[in-house]
Parts: sequence; C-alpha cells; structure tokens
Amino acid sequence: MPLELWAQAVPVSGTVTDGTNGTPLIGVSVFVKGGTQGVVTDAEGHYTITAPSESSVIGFRYIGYITQEVPVQGKRTLDVVLKADAKALEEVVVVGYGTTTKSDLTGSVASLKGGELNKAPASSVDQLLQGKIAGVQVVAPSGEPGAGATVRIRGISSINGSNSPLVVVDGFPWGDAGNLKQINPEDIESIEVLKDASAAAIYGSRGANGVILVTTKKGREGKPRITLSTLNTVSTLANKMDVWSDPVDVAIIDNEARANAGLDPLYVGQDYLGTYYPSVAELRGEDPEKPVWPYKTYWPDLVYRNPISQSYTLTATGGSEKTKYSISGNYYREEGLAIKNDYARYNGRLNLEQKLLENVTAGVNLILTHTARTGGGLSAGRSPVFPVYNEDGTYFKISPLDFGHPLAQANEVLNENRGIDVLGTLFVNWDITDWLSFRTQVSDKYGNSINDGYQPREVTYTGYQFEGFGSIDNWSGNEFLNENYFTINRNIGTIHHLNFVLGYTTQTSHSRGSRLEGRGFVNDILENQNMNAAQEQVTTNWLSRSVLNSYISRASYSLLDRYLVTFTARADGSSKFGASNKWAFFPSGALGWKIQEEDFMRALTAVSEAKLRVSYGLTGNQGLSPYQTLDRLGSGRYYTDGDFQIGFGPGIFDWDGYNKIWGGVPNESLKWETTSQLNAGLDLGFLNQRFTVTADYYYKRTDDLLRQSYITPSSGYDRIWVNDGVIENKGFELGLNAAILTGEVEWSLGGNVTLNRNKLVDMGENDFVWNGSNIEMLRSPINAFIVGEPVNVFYGYKSDGIVQTREEGLAAGLTGDMANPGEIKYVDLDGNGVIDENDRTVIGDPNPDFLYSINTTARYKGFDLSAQLYGVQGNDVFNFNKFSPSGQLQRWTPDNPTNEYPRVNATRAYYGSDWFVTDGNFLRVQNVTLGYNFKSNFIKGVDDLRIYFSGNNLYTFTKFNPGYDPEVPANGQQWGSYPRPRAFSLGLNIGF
Amino acid sequence: MRIKKYLYAVLTSFLLAGCSLQEEPYGFTSTENFYKSEADATAAIIYAYSILPEIEYYSRNFILITELPSENITLKPDAGASNFEFDELRVRADNPDLTTAWRYAYIGINRANAVIANVPGISNMGEAYRDQVVGEAYFLRALHYFNLVRLFGEAPLRTTPVTSIEQINSPKSSMQDIYKLIVEDLVKASDLMDMTRREGRADKVAAWSLLAKVYATLASAKSTASPGYDFVTGADEMYAQAKTYADKVVHQQGVYRLDPNLKAIFDIDKENGPEHIFSVSTDRTGPQEGNFSKLPLMFIPYIDGAVFTLEDGTPVRSAWNHLLTEPALYNSFAPEDKRKTELIVSKVYVDGEERVLGINDYSRPFTRKYLDPHQVGEQTGVNTPVLRFSDVLLLFAEASGPTTEGYEAINQIRERAGLQPLEEGLSPEAFRDAVIQERSWELAFEGNRLFDLRRTHKMEEVLEQKYGKAIQGDPYFFPVPQREVDANPNL
Repeated sequence: MPLELWAQAVPVSGTVTDGTNGTPLIGVSVFVKGGTQGVVTDAEGHYTITAPSESSVIGFRYIGYITQEVPVQGKRTLDVVLKADAKALEEVVVVGYGTTTKSDLTGSVASLKGGELNKAPASSVDQLLQGKIAGVQVVAPSGEPGAGATVRIRGISSINGSNSPLVVVDGFPWGDAGNLKQINPEDIESIEVLKDASAAAIYGSRGANGVILVTTKKGREGKPRITLSTLNTVSTLANKMDVWSDPVDVAIIDNEARANAGLDPLYVGQDYLGTYYPSVAELRGEDPEKPVWPYKTYWPDLVYRNPISQSYTLTATGGSEKTKYSISGNYYREEGLAIKNDYARYNGRLNLEQKLLENVTAGVNLILTHTARTGGGLSAGRSPVFPVYNEDGTYFKISPLDFGHPLAQANEVLNENRGIDVLGTLFVNWDITDWLSFRTQVSDKYGNSINDGYQPREVTYTGYQFEGFGSIDNWSGNEFLNENYFTINRNIGTIHHLNFVLGYTTQTSHSRGSRLEGRGFVNDILENQNMNAAQEQVTTNWLSRSVLNSYISRASYSLLDRYLVTFTARADGSSKFGASNKWAFFPSGALGWKIQEEDFMRALTAVSEAKLRVSYGLTGNQGLSPYQTLDRLGSGRYYTDGDFQIGFGPGIFDWDGYNKIWGGVPNESLKWETTSQLNAGLDLGFLNQRFTVTADYYYKRTDDLLRQSYITPSSGYDRIWVNDGVIENKGFELGLNAAILTGEVEWSLGGNVTLNRNKLVDMGENDFVWNGSNIEMLRSPINAFIVGEPVNVFYGYKSDGIVQTREEGLAAGLTGDMANPGEIKYVDLDGNGVIDENDRTVIGDPNPDFLYSINTTARYKGFDLSAQLYGVQGNDVFNFNKFSPSGQLQRWTPDNPTNEYPRVNATRAYYGSDWFVTDGNFLRVQNVTLGYNFKSNFIKGVDDLRIYFSGNNLYTFTKFNPGYDPEVPANGQQWGSYPRPRAFSLGLNIGF
Repeated sequence: MRIKKYLYAVLTSFLLAGCSLQEEPYGFTSTENFYKSEADATAAIIYAYSILPEIEYYSRNFILITELPSENITLKPDAGASNFEFDELRVRADNPDLTTAWRYAYIGINRANAVIANVPGISNMGEAYRDQVVGEAYFLRALHYFNLVRLFGEAPLRTTPVTSIEQINSPKSSMQDIYKLIVEDLVKASDLMDMTRREGRADKVAAWSLLAKVYATLASAKSTASPGYDFVTGADEMYAQAKTYADKVVHQQGVYRLDPNLKAIFDIDKENGPEHIFSVSTDRTGPQEGNFSKLPLMFIPYIDGAVFTLEDGTPVRSAWNHLLTEPALYNSFAPEDKRKTELIVSKVYVDGEERVLGINDYSRPFTRKYLDPHQVGEQTGVNTPVLRFSDVLLLFAEASGPTTEGYEAINQIRERAGLQPLEEGLSPEAFRDAVIQERSWELAFEGNRLFDLRRTHKMEEVLEQKYGKAIQGDPYFFPVPQREVDANPNL
C-alpha cells in the first residue's frame, strides 16, 4: 500500500476575532470541512484542531457572522477575522409559516424579545404582555395565582365567539390567548403579534382577533452554555382593604339600616337565631352592666398573608454544526395573597435538531408542563363584631345557615386542580435546492386536567344541602397537527427577490370531559376519595371532535429592496361549518415602500428608515362549537315506575344564567365570521435608528356575526345559531422609542398608545340584547349590546343625587319606599311622571378611550435601572362596591344631607343606575427593576452574573376607591376581585 | 430526476391526507340514528313527559300563572314584577312568565309530535305497547293545546315535529280548530291506550277525564256566553259529551276512585293513591330541579329559617314564603270544611312553641297539598296533580246538572269535606254555580280556578265585583307573547 495515501494529521491552532472591533469571539464553531472533527473557541477566542491532512479546509462559523473556510496548506497557525453578516444582524421576525426581516415587513407585526418581559411572578405569560405592545390590551383583573388574563388585539369583534387572539407556540396553534400557563417566560426567545389582515390571514378562520406567535429558545452552535435564573418574590396587599374594622360602626350602621327598612334593630343586647347581638353601648364599653365586648376581629389579617414565590430555571444550550440543542427545566411556585391558595408549575422543554444529510435536518421540540393549584379567593368582609372560633375551637357561625366563614372555607373545603400538558413536534426540513425547501412536521398536543372538590356539611351551603358534596372534574384534549409546506426564497437577477410559501395542513381535535358528583356522605373524612360511598352519584360527560383542513400560501416580492408586495391566503375547511359552507377563503394583500432607499431620500441622512405600509384583507373567526349545524336530540329524565327513566327527543338546552334555553334545530348554512381590515402604517427612524416611530391606523369590520337568534317560540325551540350582524373597530396605535443617551451612560425612553373605537352596527332583528344574565342585586343585567353603541355599554337608570324630602321624591316620579329621603333619586327620563323601565338609557361605557404605557431604561457600567408605567383612560366601571364600608360611613342621614351616598337601608332594592358608575382611569407603576451585571469571570468559570431587584404593582394613580382595584374585566364590573399583590422580587442569572 | 419524483410523491400524499370534514353525530343522538327500537320508543315518550315537571311548567310556572290571578294566592312583597303582573291581573305581552308558559307548551308539543311522527314507524316492537306509547303522545299533545287555548285562545297549530329552519314559523289557528284537534287527539288516545296504571304516565282513564274536562269547558263557555266560544254548536250537546266521558271515569272503571281520607290524597308516601288519575311526577333523588320539585318551597313560609313542625308532628323546613294564601279564599271556606282545617296549615310549632299564622300576616296559613317531609335539602318529590278523581266527579256533577246523579256526585265531595249536602231543588244555573264554587274549595292551589272562572264567564263577577280586584286587559285570554308576535311573520 503506497505510503502517500496515509495522510499525515496536522495540528492547527489560532485565534478568531471580530472584524469590527477586534475582540476575541468566544464559542466560534471550528470544523474540518467534510470531516467529523469540530471544536469551539475558548474565552480568548483561541482554538486547536487536528486537520486530517495538509489539503484539509477549516471552517469557522458563528451566528450573525459570515462563515469562512480557510485551506491549511502547510500553515500551523490560522488566525481568522470574521465579518459580521449584515443581513443576519437585521432583526429576524417570525411570521406564520416562516420568518422575515423587520425591514421587509409589510403587515402590522410587533415583536418583543423574551428578555424584554418584566421580571415578575406570572403564572401565565400573557400577563407579562400588558403595556408592552401598542394595540394589545391585556386585562388581568384578578391577582389570584393561575388566574390568567384577558387579551384583546384591536378591540372586540365578536359578540358570541371568542375575542381572544390565537396563540401559536413554535408553529403549533395552541388556542385562545389568556392563560398560556404551559410556557415558562424564561424559555421565550421572542413574541410576535400579528395585528393586521396581511399578517394574520395566514391563520385564516382563526386570525380575526390577531395572532400571538411565541417562539421558544433554540439550540445554537457553540460550547454548552448553562444558565440558571432564579426569582424570589415576597408580596403584600397593595392597599388597605375597605372593610369593617370597628364593631361599633357595624352595629350602628346595621341598626340604622334595619330601622330605615322598618325592621327591629338587632344590636340591642339580644339573642337572635342563637347568636348574641351586643348593644352599641356594650360595644363601646359604656354599658355598666356588661363587660367590655371582647371581640374586634380584623379579617384581612386572618385571610391574607405576605406570600412568597419562587422560580428556578436551568437551561443548557449548545451544539455543533450537525446537532443543536436547548434544554430547560423550571420550577415555579406562587403563593396567593389568600391563605391556602397556592400554585405550582413544573416545566421541561427540549428543542433538538440534527443534520441528517447535508441538506436534510430533522428535529424534535418537546414541552412538558405539570401545574397544580389549591385553594382560591376568600372574603375578608366579615363582621368584626364576632369571634373567629367558638370556645370549643369550632368555627363561629353568626346564624345556623352562616356559610361565609373564610377560614373554614380555606381550611375545610377541598379545591385542587392538577394539569398536565404535553406538546411534541417532529419535523424534517429538506433544502431541495439552494432556493427551494420543504418542511413537514407532525405535532401532538395532549392536555389533561383534574379538579378535585369537596364541600363539608358545616362549611358551605351546598355541603349543608347535600350533607357533604364531592366532585371530580376530568378533562382531556388531544390535538393532532400535520403541516407541510414548500418555501421558495430566491433572488431573480439583482433587483427582484421572491419569497413564496405554499402548503397544506390538517388538524384534528378531540376533547372529552366528565364530572362525577357524590352527594351525601356519612362524614367528611374521606372528602371525595370514595365517591361510591355517597348516597347519590351523578355522572355527566361530554365529547367533541373537529377537523380543520387548510391550504396556506404567501408570496412576498420585493423590487430593488424598495417596493414590497405581499399576498397571503388561507383556505380553511372546517367540520364545524354547515354542510353548505364547508370551505372559507381568506385572502389579503399588502404593499410596502421603503422610502429611505429612494435616491431623493439619500441626502436626508438623518432619516434612517421611512417605510409606508398599506394592507387589506380578510380573516375569520370560527366562533362556534362543533355540531351546531346538525339535528341534535336532547336527553332528559322522568320519574315513573319507581325510578327515573331516560328519554331522548328534539330540543337540547343551554343555561342562560338561570334559565334553560332550548336549541337543536340545525342550521346547515352556518359559517365563520368574516373580518375585513384595512391597515395603514408608517415606520420612521432617525439618526441610525436612535429614534424610531411606528404608527398604524386600522379599520376593521366584522360581518356575519355568529349570533344566537331568538326564533318563533311556537316552533318548540328558543334559538338558533345564525350569521348576521356587524361590528366595527377602528383605531390608532403609536409606538415610540428613543435612545436619548448612548455614551457611557445609556438612557432610553419608549412608549406606546393604543386607541380603539368600537361600534355595534347591526344585530339582525334585534337592536338591543342584554349581555349576561340577571344580576340579583339589580334584578336585571347591566351590560348590553345596543346597535349604534360600543359593545358592553351599561344600560340602566340615570340618577340625580339623593332624595332630600319625600315631596321631592314623589315629584321625581318615585313611589313607595323609593321616594323616601335618603334614597337614590332616579331620573324620570321620559317625563311620564313615574320611574319605570322606559327611563333606562346608556349610562356608561366600559371600553377605554385609550391605553398607554411608558418605559425607560438607564445603564451605567454594570448597573441598569428600568421602569414601566401602564395606564388606562376614559373607561367607566360599574362599581358594585360603591356603598362599601367607607361609603356607608358617609351615608345620608337627616343630619348629613349629602348627595353622594344614600341612607343605609337593609331591604333596599337597587336599580342598575349611574350612581354605581365610576371613572376607571388609572396609571400604574407596573415595574421598576434595578440590576447589576458582573464582569465576565468575576467568579471563576462564571461567564455571566446578573443580580437584580424588581418591584411590581408599586403604586397606582387613580381616583377609584383605593380599597379596590380599578383594573376590571372587559364588562367593566367591579365586584371586589382577588386583590392584586404588590410584589418585590430578587433575581439572579448565572451563565456558565 | 429523482428530486422531481420525490416531490411528486410528497405533493400527492399530502393533498390526499386530512380527515373528512363531514360531521357525524358524536356524543349525542340525532333523528337519523334514533327511533329504531322499543327502547327508543320508550325513551321518546319519556322525553315528552319530562318537559312537564320542569320549573317552567308544572313544578312552578304553570301553578303560579294560573293561581296568582285568582283569589287563591298573592305574593310576598319583594317578589318579581312579572309575578305581580299575574297577581294584579295586568299581564303584558312581554311578561317573561307568560312567554315561558307559551314556550313550554310548544316544546312539549314538539316532543309529542316527534313521538307521533316517528314511533309508528318502528316495526320491531309489540303493537299494543306501540299503541300505548303513541296514545300517550296524543294525550300529551292534547293537554298542551288545552293549556294553550285556555291561556291564550288562538294559537299556531302544529302537528308535525320541527326539524328544519323552514318549519319555524306557522300561522295562528282558530280556537275551533284547536279544540277539534284536542278532541280528536284525546279520542285517539283513549282508543290506543290501555288501563294499566303507570306512575306519572297517562292511561285510558286520563284521556277520558281530559275529554270530560274539554267538553265541560266548551259546554259551560257556550252556555254562559264566555268570550271566544261562539263557535261551539250547542251547550247541551257538549254537556252530554262531558257527561258521557266523566261517566266512564266515575262509573265504568275500577282503577281510580274517591279517597275517603282527604289528607291521604296529599300524603307524599301515597302518591299513587286512588284519586290521582294523572299527575306530573318528580322524585327528591333527582339530579336537578325538574326531576325533583321545589314547588312546595314556593308555598311554605319562612319562619326564622327554622325547621318547624305541624300539629301532627310533620317536620317542615322554612322555605321561601313566595306565594301567600289570600284572605278571599281562606275566609270563603265554611269553618268546619276539612279542606280548610286539614289541608291548610294555620298553626305551627317552633321549638315546641305554638305559632298561629294569621291570614294577613307575613307568614300566612299555607296549603298542605304540597309537602314532602322527607325532602333532601331543597329537593322534594312532590307531584303536581293534573287530573284528580274529585275533579272529574265534579265535572260529572256539572255536566249532569241538578239531577239525582248530579246531586249524588257533588254531595260525595261535600260529605268527605265534612259539609252538609247541597241545598235541594236548585235551578240548573244555580246548581252549576254551586259546582264551580265547590271546585274552588276542592281544587284550590291546583291550577284550576282561573280556567273555571274564565269558562263560566265569571272573571269580572268574582274577581272584580266580589273581591275588588281590578282587571286590566282581556280577562279571558292572555295576550300572545311579544316574542312570538315579533318573531313570527306568519302570525
């Protein structure tokens, strides 16, 4: 065998540096072309590699830089300077089924890096989006761990379907935004929000509410990088609660309220239904006959605590030319403000990809999440007159049917939820030629949740009614998705660039649920652990499945990198649609003009970006449950021959608040809601993007609203799903960013404003429909859909202060007790002399005029300080707590003839009136973070070390009663939600 | 060109992939896969019955809207406005309780129609049982229409189930046509059904009883010129028909009879007693209201939230105090009338302490007809009576007039109540008035009084002149609900 064939291995070493500033590059992948060896550069940019022969070629690859290949040719030292890749440095933006660069965007797409999310304990990622993106409204009315949030993009465009944007996680359509608890915020690489029709049309019949794309961190070529992030938080109640604290006040007010209602007072030193009610004098300690009243229970101290929350994330990222991985694990535990209310999450993620051939890559993405929640909200509004416990240690009951003891509920009621979610994706990417690639992926998402409940006989009314009430709720859902698409990415000549995506996807969803109820147990010991031991068992279950087949296509063309055109279309075939309307088509088009590339702009060097974008297109909302287009039989039972027998027949019911509403007549032409949207936007940048402005105007019109139309009752049915009705949303979004200082001291300031105007244009045969069921306190709903008004306006009576004399009350058209001094003076709008339902009108609008947010960051050496403020302006709140204890202390009395508050009255029947309507404006200091980044290797072997302190919900500027939170659900109703904690966190990031 | 081959393979494979978009019933039944067997036939008729004990029908609403306008009951002061419209005889077309009554009758009709349309086609079941099931459906359809025509007068007449969007609207039919269908249905029902007693279900005797009531309604309305009944050919002919069918019930069957013990009729443990020809059945073990009944809670007063006891030791849990007995009815009873002394509770015991319930108090004397001492929480198993033997016996008396058998019939009822026989020698008119008065005592709180007053043209005479109420609007028919008027262009 000739010796020449035995190639002589040669050691090669050298340093890799950055072409712009000469600093060493760490973690550059150094490899022998066509071989298997590969190393990475160390902290000094140094490497040593063994080449198989003198003729070998050594490659140097680093993310964001142009890859270089250098032949060995007898050299032993190869020092390499890598040049930055201008194209790669440009911000990459994820869009549906592909990516583009920020400068090539024609649609309205906002992008956020994972690192820009606030550092705050958050059980769902959605909460962290509040105030971050113009046009995105996030409402988190509850501070309960795991409560989620309401997310709206560009207003409300459906009255019966969902108004939540579609969330897509790594290409998988996850579902409605609002409770994305399965994703660890630390795992997020970027979040993109697709707002206009051009961007969202690729999601077709699920795109009308906008789309939020969440991309998790992927592996990178380079040495393994281990990071540990921790966040430890202690929280407090943000404000003092507006509850009773002085027993004397309670007794005085209660006696007065009963007297005003013509009832005998209770607090006169008497026994009533087994409880002793002390007199006011006795409570004051002024009754010589009685000892000082021993109780003054302050319930907030018993019900709330200073909870502690923790989050730990360990991530490993790295890879070679052929294999890349990113693995992470997270443990998150959040204690609620309310005692015994806890939330925990265990989360694991793996993103792995492997080059199988030079042009074929396969990979797997896995997300595993386990969540557990116990307990829930508790009331702290109980009377301070009475003790917590009886002398024997049992819970004190104010009356035999008193089931409002918060400690009993916290300690004795079982309410636990456990959930498992798994998303697995396998993909193969085949680069067929250098401009044509094909990707196929198969995903499966499985979710399971179990809720355990038990209500003991002494603690809740249900428990008492059934003598122990146990329940188990099971839910599981499975979604299978197969996506296949080709991508063409090609320069044609030097001035044309074409990007084209064409594909087919099919998604099958199954879900099932069951509920087991056990009623009546011998005792409460086993809770719901042996449901067979219940006197009576009730089982219910349900099943559903649906199919969505789709064709997707997008063509982006750019001429001279100056004129941009995008056409996007999706055709969705859904099993949910009626037989005569199975396929829906959603086209859109957009134009972009990079004005700064024009010759006439070149002179204006200060303008670094000037881009005009215009788009128009259609998106849809499926908004209906499966099987609405079929003839469905209902089932019921009837007692005969000593037993219940089961029946089947026409008519199937839904609950509408209290009432049964019967449906089941098929509507075979049922289809999606269609939203057409026009968007015009302008992106401006100055001084090499030091100052940037993004402004968008949009007009959205949604037709074919899915509505349950009330039909002729003599048909034997109440309602049927139909498509008619129109909603309009138009608005304006503005985002500003300024790097004010860029030297040693860096200071940037940014902000955004979101303004949306909503109008219900048409609702078929109806001009008025209540939204929501009767509110017992008002004997009427309060939110309404009214043609010509924004959705959800408050509808009720006007008020004009307080009745001061009975004559005044009668003259105002009030009758009976309602005309008495101290009652609310309602206005006889139609002037017919009586207050009746014809005097109702629109009395408030819960939709804000605008939302705004301001954020700022300053850096000096290793320090950074950032802050975010979030505000809502111009919305009305229907404040059911207006007559709170602090309000009752300012009540009307003959000696205090106020026009602000009525007298106290134990049996007042309230009307829904503007007396309850309060301005909801607020500006919240959402987050302030102070951090310090230690120098690399400050501790040996530690590349990065950051420590920071973060405060959340620090202060709220508002005229709203400080005892409650002005951030309320979209319907504007304030009932006294779970308080929002003020959170103080200490965070640590360590990178090895 | 291997690449091309692969590409072609990939393309064709995914164009063919994907599941069908055709929806098949899953997790529920559909007309196309149902009505196939005897068990399906049973389930279909059970579903038709199951509308009756819903809150919106016999377990609450029907009793409310038929009793409130009469002098039998009034309301607690803070009851809802829609209830008060009935109590104060000023019911508007948009009254939700009125709309409910209309809706539920038609939901029931649709279910009965589904049985009538589909069950005869089930061939693999016994003919006798199939006849029974179809007969029961005819009976139920007639009952719903009888309720509708007495409440509203003219109304759409539907004899086939609604299964598509095109069938939703239907024009109004005359009262004559509606009564014609009711009689036809009941005659068919009585021919098809057997005489086997099944709890909560109708049999041949129920069909006869309802026929007697329908004919008595036509007869009395014609003879008193009650509005809307001009179409009736002759009162005497109708009385004769009423008598024929009432006679079958009173004298030609052995299953049902008068119960000598008044309290036993309404003893929850004797719900299948001899008087109950047809009742809407419930049971306290049911999973939801409509399977169990909360009707008793409407009548039972709230006394300190306590469990109190009756004179005979029966425990009663404080309830809603929603419906209050009116002095007009209470004071109209003779003092010794057992239907007052035994069937209306005027005295209770709280912790052993006696409490007398005054007829003008907040907590008033209340009926014993709806009481379940074994109630579980708020769940009672009280049945709502629709056709009782004493009802039919009084119809027999009314139809017979002041004849020997007429007197004999009414005196059986009076005797059981501890009253003297009715005065002899009354004119037919006076005799029939006496029967109507007797019915008011005998059938109080059972949803009969309003219809008795309407069919005998006595709404103004009794409610306005005698009891001083003010009737606003048509005393004899409630308006067709606004929702029907608005939605149905064919009306």
